Amino acid sequence: MDKLETMWDVCLRKNIKRRSFLKSCAALTSIMGLNMDMLSKVVAAAEKNPLPVVIWLHGHECTGCDESFLRSATPLTSDLVLNSIALEYSHALSAAAGEPFEEHLHQTMQQYAGKYILAVEGAVATAENGIYCMTGGKPFVSVLKEVAKNAAVIIEYGACATSGGIQAAKPNPTGSVSVREIVGNSKPIVKVPGCPPIPEVMTGVVMHYALFGKLPPLDNEGRPKQFYGNRIHDTCYRRPFFDTGMFAENFDDAGSKAGWCLYKLGCRGPVTYNSCGNLRWWNGLSYPIQSGHGCIGCSNDHFWDEDPFYKRLPEYGPILGDVDKIGAAAVGLTTAGVALHGAMSVVQKKKRQAAEEKSDGKKVE
Amino acid sequence: MKRVVVDPITRIEGHLRVEVKVDEATGKVEDALSSGTAWRGLELIMNDRDPRDGWAYIQRICGVCTTAHALGCLRAVEDALGITIPKNANYIRNIMAGVQSVQDHVIHFYHLHALDWVSPVEALKADPVATAAMQNTVLSAYKVNVTGPESLDTEAYPKEFPKATPEYYQKIQKKVKDIVESGQLGIFAAQWWDHPDFQILPPEVHLLGIAHYLEMLDKQREIVTSHVVFGGKNPHPHYIVGGMPCSISMDDMNAPVNTERLAIVDRSINTTINLMNDFYVPDVLAIGKMYVDKGYVDGGGMAKERVLGFGDYPDEPYTGTTNGDFHKNLLYRCNGIVEDFGKGLDAAKFYDFKAEDLSDPEVLNEGVEHSWYEYPGAEGKDLHPWDGVTKAKYTGPKEGTKTDWKTLDEDGKYSWLKTPKWRGKMAEVGPLSRYIIIYTKIKKGLITDPTWVEKMIMDQIEAVSKVLNLAPEVWMPTMVGRTATRALEAQVHAYVAKYYFNKLIKNIKAGDTKVADTTKWDPKTWPKECKGVGLYEAPRGALSHWVVIKDGKIANYQAIVPTTWNACPRDNKGDHGAYEKAMMDTKVKIPDKPLEILKVVRSFDPCMACSTHLYNAEGKKIKIVTTDPYLRTNQE
Amino acid sequence: MIMHEEPRKVYYLFSPFLRIFHWTMVICISFLFTTGLLITKPASGGVSMEPTFGNILLSLDLIRNIHFIAAFIFVAAFILRIYGFVINKGDRLFPRVWKAEFWQSMIEVSMHYMLLKPSHRPYLRNPLARMSYVGLYSMVFIEIFTGFAMYLMVNPNGFGAKFFGWTIGIFGSEFMIHLIHHYIAWAIMLFVIGHVYMAIRADFMEREGEISSMFSGVKILEHEPVDVGEIMDKESSDTFSDRKPLHAGQQETKM
Repeated sequence: MDKLETMWDVCLRKNIKRRSFLKSCAALTSIMGLNMDMLSKVVAAAEKNPLPVVIWLHGHECTGCDESFLRSATPLTSDLVLNSIALEYSHALSAAAGEPFEEHLHQTMQQYAGKYILAVEGAVATAENGIYCMTGGKPFVSVLKEVAKNAAVIIEYGACATSGGIQAAKPNPTGSVSVREIVGNSKPIVKVPGCPPIPEVMTGVVMHYALFGKLPPLDNEGRPKQFYGNRIHDTCYRRPFFDTGMFAENFDDAGSKAGWCLYKLGCRGPVTYNSCGNLRWWNGLSYPIQSGHGCIGCSNDHFWDEDPFYKRLPEYGPILGDVDKIGAAAVGLTTAGVALHGAMSVVQKKKRQAAEEKSDGKKVE
Repeated sequence: MKRVVVDPITRIEGHLRVEVKVDEATGKVEDALSSGTAWRGLELIMNDRDPRDGWAYIQRICGVCTTAHALGCLRAVEDALGITIPKNANYIRNIMAGVQSVQDHVIHFYHLHALDWVSPVEALKADPVATAAMQNTVLSAYKVNVTGPESLDTEAYPKEFPKATPEYYQKIQKKVKDIVESGQLGIFAAQWWDHPDFQILPPEVHLLGIAHYLEMLDKQREIVTSHVVFGGKNPHPHYIVGGMPCSISMDDMNAPVNTERLAIVDRSINTTINLMNDFYVPDVLAIGKMYVDKGYVDGGGMAKERVLGFGDYPDEPYTGTTNGDFHKNLLYRCNGIVEDFGKGLDAAKFYDFKAEDLSDPEVLNEGVEHSWYEYPGAEGKDLHPWDGVTKAKYTGPKEGTKTDWKTLDEDGKYSWLKTPKWRGKMAEVGPLSRYIIIYTKIKKGLITDPTWVEKMIMDQIEAVSKVLNLAPEVWMPTMVGRTATRALEAQVHAYVAKYYFNKLIKNIKAGDTKVADTTKWDPKTWPKECKGVGLYEAPRGALSHWVVIKDGKIANYQAIVPTTWNACPRDNKGDHGAYEKAMMDTKVKIPDKPLEILKVVRSFDPCMACSTHLYNAEGKKIKIVTTDPYLRTNQE
Repeated sequence: MIMHEEPRKVYYLFSPFLRIFHWTMVICISFLFTTGLLITKPASGGVSMEPTFGNILLSLDLIRNIHFIAAFIFVAAFILRIYGFVINKGDRLFPRVWKAEFWQSMIEVSMHYMLLKPSHRPYLRNPLARMSYVGLYSMVFIEIFTGFAMYLMVNPNGFGAKFFGWTIGIFGSEFMIHLIHHYIAWAIMLFVIGHVYMAIRADFMEREGEISSMFSGVKILEHEPVDVGEIMDKESSDTFSDRKPLHAGQQETKM
């Protein structure tokens, strides 16, 4: 991403006269609901280097990602939102509603065209032209396309934005899909999965940009490597119990009390990439496994259709049940079939030999 | 007459739209419609899932009141399967529910609602020295001192206390100034800061409000620390059917819960109580007092006519909800319906709500006359949740196209919310409703042995009535009352968490460490078919979850959530729901800047994604007030 | 009763490389399958134990390491298979699906195995068996790719993950990869049963030295096989026919 230009830079680049620049500053002043005696300050501000601008959109979601964002301790959300970024549009936090806010957003999108960060929380409902998620009287899908067009980078926050989330679970009545499926790969997309993602992971992505002036390094799926670089299983403090073969067999049994591995209670840690095992929640306080419940794999694509959550292989058989039981039955049946076939083959051979002997006898005669 | 549309409404959960007809001469709202503009189909997604997983799915209805739906679902499934959870699990769940309600209320007031009351622009005019003095006045005049239940006194002195130092307010003011001068207002951008309602409060209150906005933003996470200890994370902590996954052991180093973990929970609850006593309640009362003194006692609407509650906080484990056991040992017995509270206590009528009512198809049901759904084979009927059908039928707006609305059709279908009814009538739910019910029940002698929670509520109401110098029937069913009772309730919830923490410690001390009953974990132990209901008093009001389990799978799932009660579209008789009624009970000063409408809608703490429209009855000039950039083309 | 003392011919077919590979595969698959089952459904250690003193036999760490080592040996043994393929025509078992004759043979052999035909024409490498090997190799390749995807995604940014990680994308998620890996393992077991049975059957019923061929590399046939041209030139075939016929049951010890 390029360094953000000031409003005055934009005017210079576009060869706009100082007078027009001042005029737009005046418009901006009134849009911001400020008195005209603030104009000189606004003009001064427009000539300074601004903070990275963030526009945050909401699709089909539960607002849990906003809540998670607010829970961040390092950085504190207040510090981030007031000092490191300019969160110009957010359904959750923005003071405004109504026409002036709309004007403000439009202005923001124009002024920072190609430079703003678009954060999206929630899935995109596509069934029946998107009427299952209407915002501002229009389908969210069309809103997203419009705002994405001039974004410098898109951050997909949470399972809904990264893979459709809960509403995309079978039978997906609203035809919900991820943001990437709508905007394609034309823009850099940072994928921050989780239901919700860990607070410090959410703010960390933005903080990285604020501190280093560029996006954090991403893996081939677009996830920040520093937050999704390992499986929970490979960073879990209960891993030694797995390795030694010490498992909780039921909830609240001796193994559960001793804090043994939850693999047999369906833990998805072995297939889930997230920072739960090392960052943990509340700056290292706990994470689901530490609190005695297996991971449900909430940062995996389409994890909602990998239920039931309390079953792992071999009990997890989405089609017919316990895979090992099915396998053993199939082996039994095959063996029986083979034995039967063998017996019948012997009978057939005897018959053939008898027939051959008969014909041989005839030949001899 | 002018029709104004606001879509989407910000600082809420989800997608909401409202349209109101305003008489420009008097500012009176003649008609209002509220429309939930998104449908995610979670009821359909629940079908055929394992009931033990249900809580995780349905918890994702909402991440703001995260846990409310998980608890509703667990209670419904446990009711269906006949599971009684162990004592410790009951205490832990109640701690989590208590702090969740507090945190939710705090986020609502300071971060979703406050910027309708206080303005950073006004805060610039404040004198930091006077603000520090005002902080002291607020603490001395507006604290509601309550005596909590008997519990372990583990805190030496309050750790969280409002700062009343001029320099602190100078720094806050400087930060606000820097932001305003930077031209990048961020979250403070583009509110109607010049609206006359922002002149009601003196500048010092604005600066105080902004300071506490920021302070609570940093602190609110500490309120729900117990979710992270017991449930592993927040939002969306983990539970299990039959109890809690967090085993307790003092004999194992790796146990999810041990002394140190309990100390973390205790610290967080103490912090929570501090924040309620010294920040939230005094702040709300101080602001509320100034509003009430200037005559703002409108926005009551449905609260004056009918409120509903189910009751909550089972003191000890219970065997089921449908068998009536749930209602036998509640701490917060707000189960019932109060009609006509606005006409005074004497005229108010009370109707009890009992377990039998849950299975009676005539008592609770939902209609879809004005909702984008249909009931095939049962057109025009109201269906009981166990027989509920969720089948979408989108008809589009009155004006505009299906994908580009201008105005919605108040005579036809216009919302993704159903219309829930109690005996054929709509009702308001929420903290205000619960307070009205408890107050009425006690004053009318229906509760003769109030629990400590109920006593505390009565004390609070009395104290506030004294401060406001108004009778409860007057100040409670108003927009200010709705916001004030939420703050008072948060204070109660904080002590509820402390109370159950105390019980948890006592029970562990007595040698009981069981947190889960897994005797019915295996689906083979379940009946072939069973039904259950889970009741829960969520932060936004009475919540009920309804489940039908067949052959070990969920066969039907319906939830009637508080916001459905409040934000529902009108019924077949044209009667309005709580949002619509409250808007119609609100005066709008400037139709183009309907701050009052937003404020009254937000006083319900909407939990949906929605939008509001104010529109011109003659259809001449439609003024669309929107927070959404893409409506530009629609305008004028 | 008349005893048949029919003249039989010996055909050298399988290179030692293929034979070593075959038995390596047998051993590895046995280990992989057993340890695989234990990984999905581990035996549990008792209560009141500390990890350090855990029973080594229950150690998933050990079981997983056996699984991984067996997998590496298996994959390494493929080099032998490929070398044999290059130097020896007899090792080339890919079915000649592009030839009509192959399909006719398929039908003929199938008819016999369905007990509808008393016998089938003699083959060095039975077309039905050759088709089943395609199935086996496909399954083995799926196991290798899914297995390495799981193994190497420990470091998703590493070189190995780039090489195999894409497999996960094909099947949707890593959880599904575990499932597929497990289902295919069972399918391979079903193949094993059929394969062992057919080998024994051919050996006992047709006395073609099927089992011994995997040790000696030769098969002994009564009649000239239909597909003899695939493994030798005309001349060498002649050389074979010039040789003194061996009797059934006699084994050639030449490697």
